[in-house]
Amino acid sequence: MESLLKSTRRIHSACWLVKLRWAAIAVLGLGAFFAKRALCVALPGKKLYFITGVLFFYNFILLDYIKYLTWEGREPPAKSISRMIMFQISADLFILTTILHFSGGIENPFCFFFVFHMIIASILCSKLHSYIQAVIAIFLFSLIVALEYFGILHHYELEGFAAHGLYKDFTFISGTLFVFAWTLVLVVYMTTSIVEQLREQEEGIEQANKMLKEKDNIKNEYVLRVTHDIKGHMAAIESCINLVYSEMVGPLNEKQKDLIGRAYRRTLKCISFITALLKITRLNLAGKLEKELVHLNRVISSAITTVQNRANQKNISLNYEGTETVYDILGEQVLIEETLTNLLFNAIRYTPSGGRIVLTVKDKSSEYLIQIRDTGIGIPKGDEEKIFEEFYRATNARKVERDGTGLGLSFAKQAVEKHGGRIWVENNPDEGSTFSFTLPKSNNIVNK
Amino acid sequence: MEKATVLIVDDDPDITEAMTVILEQKGYVVNSAGSIEQAMESLQKQRSDIIILDVMMDTPQDGFILSRQLKQDEKYQNIPILMLTSVQGKIGIDFKSAAGDETWLPVDEYLAKPIKPDVLLKKIESLIRKR
Repeated sequence: MESLLKSTRRIHSACWLVKLRWAAIAVLGLGAFFAKRALCVALPGKKLYFITGVLFFYNFILLDYIKYLTWEGREPPAKSISRMIMFQISADLFILTTILHFSGGIENPFCFFFVFHMIIASILCSKLHSYIQAVIAIFLFSLIVALEYFGILHHYELEGFAAHGLYKDFTFISGTLFVFAWTLVLVVYMTTSIVEQLREQEEGIEQANKMLKEKDNIKNEYVLRVTHDIKGHMAAIESCINLVYSEMVGPLNEKQKDLIGRAYRRTLKCISFITALLKITRLNLAGKLEKELVHLNRVISSAITTVQNRANQKNISLNYEGTETVYDILGEQVLIEETLTNLLFNAIRYTPSGGRIVLTVKDKSSEYLIQIRDTGIGIPKGDEEKIFEEFYRATNARKVERDGTGLGLSFAKQAVEKHGGRIWVENNPDEGSTFSFTLPKSNNIVNK
Repeated sequence: MEKATVLIVDDDPDITEAMTVILEQKGYVVNSAGSIEQAMESLQKQRSDIIILDVMMDTPQDGFILSRQLKQDEKYQNIPILMLTSVQGKIGIDFKSAAGDETWLPVDEYLAKPIKPDVLLKKIESLIRKR
């Protein structure tokens, strides 16, 4: 998981470099034009525009290569991305050197732009690789300066900017190169030191996160054990009370029947609360889903059958608006069905008698959108996200039903998110609210 | 001696019913209310000799709020309040600070849930005798 994260981040870095290069290309093209036309510096325009073109082309190829590496959510090995980043930076150094050669060599103060490459290398590469890049930069730049000095390469004068013949002045050249080399080395030293500290901090945070997760798991296992024990006691209580309440062991007078009935119903509520707690804790603890092909249509009709009775009792119309299309997804059927029944039961519970509930499924290119729309009491403003938290219950929900578990929606959220989907709620403009969740299509799921 | 009137303020109908049965057997007149508003309404209709008050109702602070409201009101400040709670002493919640006022939680007695009939009756009798 960790290496996966790092490789994702490297891909982002590679994309960032490509973006930076687009900016550099624009600045280079416009800069050359401006220097030549407005400042009247004698520049070999065509050559510079040609380099700009090469850079443009090369950036396109890189972008394509990155797309190829990450095609359909693939995770390329970190090593090959690192190598690509190293290659990019070296190529950039080479191109900057060429540009400098065509624009005055040592006489061009833009030679200090190598600093930016050093900073980028220090952030993206290891310490050793950053110093290697510094050495490459110093070598390339010194090489063209030397070749121009000895007359092997043509020197392009920056007429209108630099004094004549500076590139032949040994003191000037050696002084500038000395400062140049030290600047690059010091920049790499400083940046890598800072980056190292940041990485250490980040590792610390990662470690702490891992520990928290472990602690959370221990807590969940504890909750699981305790609730399981409590459930045993509650089940025994329920069985005994049921015998008395159903008068199998003798008749009860009215008051007795009423009181034992209250106890019986509270026991059932407690058991359903414990069952919900067990379910959500198990879901919390489960790492990977055991996915199989699920026919969403079948799950939906099964969920509707489960809740239909309750809807009839409250005289609520419950309609499914879907097409004949088969909606296939990869997932755990039990979790999806539980999510649906939770949402439907909620809709029924918080919709007054005579109301309407409509379930729809929409095909949204890469995912299915399932919506449950009711004519119920709605969600108080500001509670739209909180209601998905464990044990949270909206104030108006508490008034309708005192003893909700506060776990149904948080179960739904976790189940949907484990499938790579999202869940949210909105109030309808007229009345009631709509709960929506998405499930990625079966051919669109990257195994997580 | 004529038995006193008790007002039970609790939003749990089952607990209310259980206490009602216990108290009525001993001859108390019992009124019940499920919220602050209902409690005030009931008090205006019939005065009460003692109030049994649950802490958590619509909001977790409702019990505190009502107790303060009553003790600040000249009409009701002499009615003893027996506060019902299922948490006191067990998980170490400090009621006075939880009420947001460390110096003033104006209740006369506490009673822990689940309710034991003999304890409930004893506390109520002693509170009434004190008046």
